[in-house]
Amino acid sequence: MKWLKNCYYLILLVTVGIVYLSTVDRWKVYAQVIEQVKEFCLGDVEQENQKKNADDSGPGQDVVEPGDIADGSGNLASAAFGTADDGQGQNMADAENGQGQDVANTGAGTAEGAGAEEQPITRPTEPGAPLEPAVPTEPGAPLEPAVPTEPGVPPDPGTPTEPVFVTVEDEYFADAVFIGDSRTVGMCEYGGLEEISTFYASTGLTVYKIFDAAIVEVPGQKKKITIEEALEENSFAKIYLMIGINEMGVGTVETFTEKYREVVEHLQELQPDAIIYIQGIIKVTTERSDQGDYINNEGIEARNLELEKLADNRSIFYLDVNPLICDETGGLVDSYTFDGVHLKAKYIQIWKDYLKENAVQINFS
Amino acid sequence: MIFSSIEFLLLFLPVFLIFYWLSPDKIKNVVLLAGSLIFYTFGEPKYLVLLMVSVLANYFTGLCLEQMPRQKGKQNKRKKIKYDRKRKRIFITAVVINIGVLAVCKVVFDENALPLGISFYTFQILSYLIDVYKGEQRRETSFVCFATYVTMFPQLVSGPIVSYGEVREHLYKREFNAEKLQEGLKVFTLGLASKVLLADRLGLLWREVQVTGFESISTPLAWLAAAAYSMKIYFDFYGYSLMAVGLGRMLGFELPENFRTPYMSGSVREFYRRWHITLGRWFCRYIYIPLGGNRKGELRTVLNLLAVWGLTAIWHGSTENFLIWGMLLWLLIVFERQLEALGAGKILKKGPLRVIPHLYLWAVIPVTWICFAVTDISQLHIYLGRMFGTTEGIRISARDWIRALQTYWYLFGIGALACTPVLHRLFRKWKDSVAGTLILVALFWVCVWRLQVEGNNPFMYFRLF
Repeated sequence: MKWLKNCYYLILLVTVGIVYLSTVDRWKVYAQVIEQVKEFCLGDVEQENQKKNADDSGPGQDVVEPGDIADGSGNLASAAFGTADDGQGQNMADAENGQGQDVANTGAGTAEGAGAEEQPITRPTEPGAPLEPAVPTEPGAPLEPAVPTEPGVPPDPGTPTEPVFVTVEDEYFADAVFIGDSRTVGMCEYGGLEEISTFYASTGLTVYKIFDAAIVEVPGQKKKITIEEALEENSFAKIYLMIGINEMGVGTVETFTEKYREVVEHLQELQPDAIIYIQGIIKVTTERSDQGDYINNEGIEARNLELEKLADNRSIFYLDVNPLICDETGGLVDSYTFDGVHLKAKYIQIWKDYLKENAVQINFS
Repeated sequence: MIFSSIEFLLLFLPVFLIFYWLSPDKIKNVVLLAGSLIFYTFGEPKYLVLLMVSVLANYFTGLCLEQMPRQKGKQNKRKKIKYDRKRKRIFITAVVINIGVLAVCKVVFDENALPLGISFYTFQILSYLIDVYKGEQRRETSFVCFATYVTMFPQLVSGPIVSYGEVREHLYKREFNAEKLQEGLKVFTLGLASKVLLADRLGLLWREVQVTGFESISTPLAWLAAAAYSMKIYFDFYGYSLMAVGLGRMLGFELPENFRTPYMSGSVREFYRRWHITLGRWFCRYIYIPLGGNRKGELRTVLNLLAVWGLTAIWHGSTENFLIWGMLLWLLIVFERQLEALGAGKILKKGPLRVIPHLYLWAVIPVTWICFAVTDISQLHIYLGRMFGTTEGIRISARDWIRALQTYWYLFGIGALACTPVLHRLFRKWKDSVAGTLILVALFWVCVWRLQVEGNNPFMYFRLF
């Protein structure tokens, strides 16, 4: 029995490893390597062949159908909260869905992730409606940037089509709620509005999980409630949305915009009297953008263009602070940020001042 | 490639071990050498040539440095003098070139773009050359053995800095068996956990502070983040050294330990006798003692220490902050020497006063680490200013440190415990029990899982903006 004593750690390690890889990882680690080796070996073969190969290589790569995106969003949500638990849910979900490849994989293959994301953009998902990032593609609801009116709702003659922005004081935000991801968390902590306004913000929040995330603290209550519940219980006059950077790796411009539209519509149902400010996603530095993953400024710009069209300039307005914090390369100014993504506390003031200078003073009730 | 990566843990290591196990004893060194070069190529194919040239050139240099055996007779004496002169010339040239290459790399390349492991393998080569020149080691005639000594992947990238005498025996004869493999793996697992579950997690607080900007953190948070960084750098480096020792043991080597619970020290002097021991040893053996050590009066000692700390600082990096770090440590050490000379040591060893040296250490070491961590001088100025309240903060959130504690308290707790010898004692006691083994197995796969989630780099939280 001495040999057993000498290697039972090894045996256990390997056994648990096999269990782990079979259940959580689905042997993706090795599948990826085999894929890479295959690609390496096929490197000389014609491109045509390779393309075919890529198309055949698994269901994960054609993941753009709405159903699949919803899956992706489910994964995302489970990954979104709590640094300790992120990802596992996603891995498991991936495993359950049997998606061989990673659309929403945080793991090693970022390049593949990006590739998987790009592909769908050029591939028509709706018959006869080729999707291009920059071209508005809502079938049946053609939105033109210059005419920001909603079809079906004839504009009031008196309603201004161009928003009139005024400058306000901090008190303006007293009946405002800021909803968003870590950027909004930064605004909450360092914008100086923590005591004045309400913040429903959480690191990793996405449009897909925005209403279901239990992140709102209730005084005197241990359990946090969801944003939806919080919006049912409280009423606000202004809603500021800053969300979208975490969604960059999931879905297309269109699916993202569609989800965002649903979110805005639901917000209107919950808070019919509120002005909704859609804020364009803050860009990243050019350096960060050039890192080669799906977080890049081209993608953000494409999504912002679509977000802008969601504004009707009556109760939904579009704000974009990017021109004030970006340099000539089109990315966030390097010195304004450490990680290329988040504004340093000192520079959040620019964003806040921008919001104060671009407020709408209309009473809809 | 680093040890705490999926590629290493799930691909390189198993494949390498299988090859290593299957190969007969005679060619195990060749397999290890080949494996090490592949390991290096994975991370930095660009500088493989530099490494190879360095190994080759120094192998031949080493061959020329052997002392001539003593022989009687006048002619032989003259011959010896001539030979020694030549030997000296070669030795000095070789040392200058080795240091020159390292220095040029440090100046030319950015901190992160430095050829992988160059600081470590250069020092290892230098120690070999000096030992052979001084006659403390026989020259190595086997190229495979020498190349394996320099490049073996357990210690190639970040130490420990092994002297040739420590591994020579094992390079020629070592045992590879299940028991050693298992014992090594256990140590490796502990190191992996230290890196992935403690260092990388605690590093997040440091990261957060950087994202916020140093001018906007409260003074308590500045100290908290300094403490977090102090723990992070320890568990990072300690974990890496443990992994190296573990890997060495798996293959049949006994690599020297690099850390001995440094944060339990009572003085900066003691701290650096217990922190990165193999580097301290290197400087002591090849710089401090040849300069006269502490045998030539207090002034000379202080100047010798200045030389050692100046060089230590430059070894760590070429930006000014490292010089500040080194000089600060030098000042503290000189200060401690003076206190000691006044008899403070005796008073502080008895009774409840014993805590004072520890409190002193825990206060000054984080400050020195900040000087180490922040490479931009103006930023360093701001950070230190925030620590001591001399720089006015901009848009400070007064409760930021409470929020940080709410998030990180348990990591601080586990970290503090892991800084004491307690965990290590538990490890030694329980590592062979069923429960201990199960815990280690779980730790290993939890680490793998975390690494997969984080995508190798603890800061690449793609989803968590």
